[in-house]
Amino acid sequence: MSERPLIRAVRNVSSVDLYTSGHRTCAGCGAALGYRLLLKAAGPKTVVLGPTGCMYVANGHQFLSSPYSVPWYHTQLGAGGAAGVGTAAAFRSLMMKGKRKKEEVNVVVYGGDGGTGDMGFSGLSMAMGYDYKRFVYVLYDNESYANTGIQASSTTPWGASTTFTPTGKIKRIGNLRMKKNVALIIAAHPGVRYVATATLYPPLDFINKTKKALEADGPAFIHLLVPCPKGWFTDPKYTLDLSRSALETGLWVSWEYENGEFNLSYRPEPRKHVKEYLRMQKRFEHLTDDKIEEIERMTAKEWDYWKEMDEQNRMIIPWVAPP
Amino acid sequence: MPKTASKSVAKTLPKRFMWTGTRAIAEAVKLADVDVIAAYPIRPYTGVMNSLAKMLADGEFAAEIIGADSEHSQFEIAKHASAVGARTFVGSSGVGLAFAAEPIVVTAMGQLPVVAMAGCRALDDPGNFGMEWNDVLTFRDSGWLMSWAKDPQEALDMILVAYRVSEDRRVLLPSFVAVDGAAITHISAPVEQPSREGVAKFLPPYKPQYPLDPASGPITKAQHIAPSLIGPELRKVVDNAMAQAREVIREAWRDFAVFVGREYPPFIENMYIEDAEIALVTMGAYAKDAVHVATKLRQEGVKVGVVRLRYFRPFPQGELAEVLGKVKAAGVVDFSYSFGSADSSSVLFNEVRSALYESGSHPLLMDFMFVGGREPSVEHFEQAVRLLEKGAGKGAVEKHVWWPTLRGESP
Repeated sequence: MSERPLIRAVRNVSSVDLYTSGHRTCAGCGAALGYRLLLKAAGPKTVVLGPTGCMYVANGHQFLSSPYSVPWYHTQLGAGGAAGVGTAAAFRSLMMKGKRKKEEVNVVVYGGDGGTGDMGFSGLSMAMGYDYKRFVYVLYDNESYANTGIQASSTTPWGASTTFTPTGKIKRIGNLRMKKNVALIIAAHPGVRYVATATLYPPLDFINKTKKALEADGPAFIHLLVPCPKGWFTDPKYTLDLSRSALETGLWVSWEYENGEFNLSYRPEPRKHVKEYLRMQKRFEHLTDDKIEEIERMTAKEWDYWKEMDEQNRMIIPWVAPP
Repeated sequence: MPKTASKSVAKTLPKRFMWTGTRAIAEAVKLADVDVIAAYPIRPYTGVMNSLAKMLADGEFAAEIIGADSEHSQFEIAKHASAVGARTFVGSSGVGLAFAAEPIVVTAMGQLPVVAMAGCRALDDPGNFGMEWNDVLTFRDSGWLMSWAKDPQEALDMILVAYRVSEDRRVLLPSFVAVDGAAITHISAPVEQPSREGVAKFLPPYKPQYPLDPASGPITKAQHIAPSLIGPELRKVVDNAMAQAREVIREAWRDFAVFVGREYPPFIENMYIEDAEIALVTMGAYAKDAVHVATKLRQEGVKVGVVRLRYFRPFPQGELAEVLGKVKAAGVVDFSYSFGSADSSSVLFNEVRSALYESGSHPLLMDFMFVGGREPSVEHFEQAVRLLEKGAGKGAVEKHVWWPTLRGESP
């Protein structure tokens, strides 16, 4: 990996926004903020592929304005991986055959949890097996099919109420599936050169991880947790606080995996009780205190693994008994 | 002839090879200097990708070849590579095409000149290696150009022409080159290899007007829209492109004859049609069987001709109306089905009938559905001609949809 100096202070981040006005995302949209940081990090020599999802529908506009100042093309809900490979393959082929000037072009896919963890999983897996450079797939995870009205996906956390997993008179919990750890699965791909997780806080973390991902010597993947006021039933002003709280309660784990080495990017010590994060969100409001304690127990158990991984710098699959 | 003279004659003659349809198509892809190839295995089309992978492994030409995780990814890869400015090749068969339905549809709507080989195969269930057209015809309404080859030679030629027509800025629509499974994909036939120089003159490099490339500045493509704003206009763009393709196809085959040296009528090929009273209408490999039967029956004095469609999209409506307006009865030799359609008949039959509706005089029409993949024999074609003869004599038939290869179906 050729080292490019990472950004140490927010004032050194590019003041140019390549994801700018002209969209109609919700107030406090975490995914939109993620887009902005992503393109600040990637810069203008970038092609962006946008699978169907919130960042497709909400970034489209009835007046045909576009928020993208870089080449951008829609791809189908399950096609993020294939779109990235097709785009990267075209650049490599055209440059190799002298049909286009040789230079570095970034290929970035920004796909949601439904398009990445569910429908596009097979194509993503394929994409991570090839050796295209400056190719990064970013999963923006708002933990549901938010654009279609908050339906559970495979990354919706246990206990969340969604329109496909509503709470009712006999079903008290909401979503009964445990959140799929997509980044761990991607890390198991031998071709992948950089895997990380991040959230919107602190912003430099995601920006620098994007830079590292693009500088890696092959395909890279970042799983980005993005709070969603619409789907989490939170006040738009708390989006960044939620990102921070997710880290501090240990419900979101920020890490990097590169060249076989695992590192935590942030270690919450002492870790705050999960209720601080969960009680901010109406999607969990039906959970009784004993269910919250159950989540706390699972989180504590999972953190035994994360700490061990950090100390040994090795990938271990965490296992926690389901509730 | 002295040795040297025979050598120089051999030099001027085009090289001929015994090639299967898939091998011939691989040659066309190489000659077109395709940049990105997306592969996924399914019979009977797969051979083309095997051949291309070997050519690339041997350094015969340079391209990126991706083995995808599914046909869905395969067609998405081709679509996105095309958007950047690469010439692309892809293909599939049977349920593989069904799995790729979503990217196939958006490739046309994105006006990307992807060229795909379709090795026609019966759709599941159950799995069936037999030949049917329903896999490709699923996409008849989607904005893809569709041509049907009769043999490996024409398959090679149609691929080259497909790039030329698809990439023409008056068209910018993707192309399916359909070849009948087994009958063309797996059967070797003599094929003349076009010269590199000829192809280079015939097929200019692909230069998209708005490539998805930072070097050309930012563009936003296929953004979500409010339907009331440009919904109908976007559909009309594709419709216009399909309409313009008719002239571009004519031009392309004219130039093909000049630069590559083989001549074809652009849309339909007629045999024995001048004085024909009845006609068989078909596409693809089995047109040769139809011609064989017509040749034989002509010797008995039966005035039968054969009409072969080379394109299904755009549909050669005018050409068909003109030629079929002169016969008394025509039978569509069809390898498709459209359950519950008018007369519960087949796709090509319904298209032919619809194309003739407004023309002044039209023949009595019969449908011969060879479905389910059971191989037809020349006897079936002969039977069809006899039934047409009878109908033409009486001016009517009681039953005009036949399943000649179905057990228990006999005239």
